[in-house]
Amino acid sequence: MKKSEVDVLIVGAGPAGLAAAIAAKQSGFARVRVLDREREAGGVPRHSSHTGYGLRDLHRVMSGPKYAARYISKALEAGVEISTSTTALDWAGDLALALTSPLGLEEVSASQILLATGARERGRNARAIAGTRPVGIYTTGALQQSVYQRHQEIGKRAVIIGAEHVSFSAVMTLAHAGVQTVAMLTPEARHQSYFPLHWGTALRYRYALRTRTELLEILGRDRVSGVRVATPRGEEVIECDTVVFSADWIPDNELARRGSLQISESTKSPIVNHLHETSRSGVFALGNLLMPIKSADQCALEGSSLLSKNW
Amino acid sequence: MAKRVAPHVRTFDVAIIGAGVVGAAIARELARFDLSILLIDAKSDVGAGTSKANTAILHTGFDTVPGSLESRLVSRGYFLLREYAREVGISYETCGALLVAWSAEEFANLSKIQEKAIANGYLESYLVDVADLYEKEPHLGPGALGALAVPGEWIIDPWSTTLAYATQAKAAGAILQLSTRVERIAQSSHLHTLHTSQGEFEARYLVNAAGLYSDVIDREFGFEDFVVTPRRGELMVFDKLSRSLVSHILLPVPSSMGKGVLVSPTVFGNVMLGPTAENLSDKSATESSITGLAFLQEKGRKIMPALLDEEITAIYVGLRAATEHSDFQISLHAPQRYVTVGGIRSTGLTASMAIAEHVRDLLTQAGLDLGVHDSLPAIHIPRLGEATLRPYQNEPLIAANPSYGEIICHCERVTRGEVVATLASPIPPQDQAGLGRRTRATLGRCQGFYCHAEVRALLESKSGVS
Ligand SMILES: Cc1cc2nc3c(=O)[nH]c(=O)nc-3n(C[C@H](O)[C@H](O)[C@H](O)COP(=O)(O)OP(=O)(O)OC[C@H]3O[C@@H](n4cnc5c(N)ncnc54)[C@H](O)[C@@H]3O)c2cc1C
Ligand SMILES: Cc1cc2nc3c(=O)[nH]c(=O)nc-3n(C[C@H](O)[C@H](O)[C@H](O)COP(=O)(O)OP(=O)(O)OC[C@H]3O[C@@H](n4cnc5c(N)ncnc54)[C@H](O)[C@@H]3O)c2cc1C
Repeated sequence: MKKSEVDVLIVGAGPAGLAAAIAAKQSGFARVRVLDREREAGGVPRHSSHTGYGLRDLHRVMSGPKYAARYISKALEAGVEISTSTTALDWAGDLALALTSPLGLEEVSASQILLATGARERGRNARAIAGTRPVGIYTTGALQQSVYQRHQEIGKRAVIIGAEHVSFSAVMTLAHAGVQTVAMLTPEARHQSYFPLHWGTALRYRYALRTRTELLEILGRDRVSGVRVATPRGEEVIECDTVVFSADWIPDNELARRGSLQISESTKSPIVNHLHETSRSGVFALGNLLMPIKSADQCALEGSSLLSKNW
Repeated sequence: MAKRVAPHVRTFDVAIIGAGVVGAAIARELARFDLSILLIDAKSDVGAGTSKANTAILHTGFDTVPGSLESRLVSRGYFLLREYAREVGISYETCGALLVAWSAEEFANLSKIQEKAIANGYLESYLVDVADLYEKEPHLGPGALGALAVPGEWIIDPWSTTLAYATQAKAAGAILQLSTRVERIAQSSHLHTLHTSQGEFEARYLVNAAGLYSDVIDREFGFEDFVVTPRRGELMVFDKLSRSLVSHILLPVPSSMGKGVLVSPTVFGNVMLGPTAENLSDKSATESSITGLAFLQEKGRKIMPALLDEEITAIYVGLRAATEHSDFQISLHAPQRYVTVGGIRSTGLTASMAIAEHVRDLLTQAGLDLGVHDSLPAIHIPRLGEATLRPYQNEPLIAANPSYGEIICHCERVTRGEVVATLASPIPPQDQAGLGRRTRATLGRCQGFYCHAEVRALLESKSGVS
């Protein structure tokens, strides 16, 4: 097995990981390496072709892939080593990780390890939703990749579960794929996004926000045929062929847990101090791995500033 | 080996209706002889009925009814499948079971169950006191009083089992006819004509291994020996990070209320909670229910509270082919050259190879001449279990083919190489669920947040180039 050593090892080449890597280089660390298990670096924004990225950090609003490309080229210019299709499997010591990639197995040790593994949305099973198991069920993350990257057939009528920022992203993505959003459901009394975002999207794409409405069950044998919901007026069935589970974030804490880092019971994120250091000295956590979900620019700013605080 | 038949030939020595674990095992058993064999299923994949949704335990048969056919076939099947799993590479783990008593009544029952085990020929069970129990299973919820240990109860990969049988039968010359529903059966003096959704097939001998529909097929012959009532079993699977919580299969003590809910590790490195037991009337009702899931969560919270803090990665439903009889309903109708294999309710995975031997013998009793016996072609099934080396950990394999180092389903750590190989296998998957059963792709905690689109593209391209 190959063994190697770097100064700063960062897991996750999303906005947080890339921004931290650039800052590490700029503050003088010689060997800075970022790993990502995906074929390309960039993290979640890479999948998100709609606009809405970069306001706070790049001071310009752009699409997700453009935003990701900016960070990748800045990182490469700064001399960051980026290893894609490379998964950090587990720990190989307090400050060392075991990797696998098409190049084989490897153990890397570092003087600092940064975990920037992001967060994902809970899917249908994680939310213990009853019913059939037909084709046509997505998370927003999965939907975006199907639509923007693979141009796959989605359906005609969708119901979105959840009414947070990302749910509006789902509306736009569905519209891009020619799918009408027939309803957006939330058990809360109102949506949890900014009003302008809601009104803007609702006006443009015409769908019903259904508050105090809870998903009970998915219907349809081969293909989704509808959802049964509970409303203040009783139960009802909304016909649709696609269901998108949005928001309800869970941090990608596998590595943190495998390393027995202290985890917060409420957020399931690693517990960190004001310097973003976890319960293990030399191991830091940042971005959406901590208290999801923030916007990409917030994650990137967190990455950039981690350094000035720490070193 | 089975007679090779030309593609246009539609007359077979033996036709088997149902490519579940039972039908596939029968096809494999018969394929070693000089016979032409047809294995037919309405679904687009093998093992896509009840055989895909069970608790995946290799049962010793310790709690079957002593003297029953089930008792005999489970004991023998256990031994056969264990050997077969070693031979072809089906993952299993020798974790053993603990029947946990939660009340004085259950505790008193443990010694009766031990006696029953002995009557079934299983001699290795022993009683475990409270202190020892919590030492073995520190995450068990409070209130357990003791347990009966059954070290022979193991866990196995159920999907690869059916796939292995069918793959080997096919390699030996059996014809696998999927997406073909048998709609009507006509009989002449020496031939059965199966009218199906894909035209007609003829067979001299017929085996009914149609699971939930075995009674429906029986009616074609006018037999009314049993009625199948689908008994729904809902199951929850928890994320791999929960695997360290549990070491044994934690079985409930059977009571008058049925077998009850278990917590068990799976060979894939997850933990399973279930099943429920509820009689239904609709044989296609494989949906989970709000009440069933709530019931499981309540039970699970009692058995192992920490488990419920983990993420649920899958929810399954299996329908047991229950009948009004407690035993398997396997019978030979010699004049019709027809064998019914029905009521294989809750131990069919374990008993499958023994059932196949039994059916072979019944067919010979009805006059089937098996002809020359030959050894089956060797096959190898990719090992999916976490207890052995997976491709992403296999340095020489990655060096030989780098795509085995490229993980595309991150949660289950499935590589591109595995997906591509599966798409080119003798019985390739037809959909994402079938691919999941063969590789585990998309079955993990992210539920496709990361890999859905990629896996779907590979599947749609079929060649595996995305
Ligand atoms: C559908 C959707 C729409 C969004 N829309 C917007 C928007 O309009 N504007 C906005 O500002 N924000 C938006 N966001 C949020 C934004 O994408 C995230 O806040 C941001 O991507 C988080 O950055 P991160 O670096 O923390 O993690 P991520 O971008 O999630 O990156 C984490 C990376 O870590 C990798 N990784 C994880 N584990 C391992 C491992 N073990 N080994 C190797 N690599 C690993 C992952 O593959 C991933 O590439 C959206 C998010 C989603 C899901
Ligand atoms: C919840 C649950 C837990 C279980 N746990 C265990 C366990 O731990 N260990 C164990 O050993 N066993 C277990 N079992 C039992 C085991 O799963 C079954 O006994 C076994 O799968 C039955 O296999 P089968 O081939 O008879 O039926 P099936 O798998 O249902 O196969 C029958 C096939 O026949 C096909 N078919 C039906 N009618 C037609 C037609 N007209 N034309 C064409 N094809 C047709 C169907 O499509 C189906 O694929 C469990 C079962 C359940 C439900």
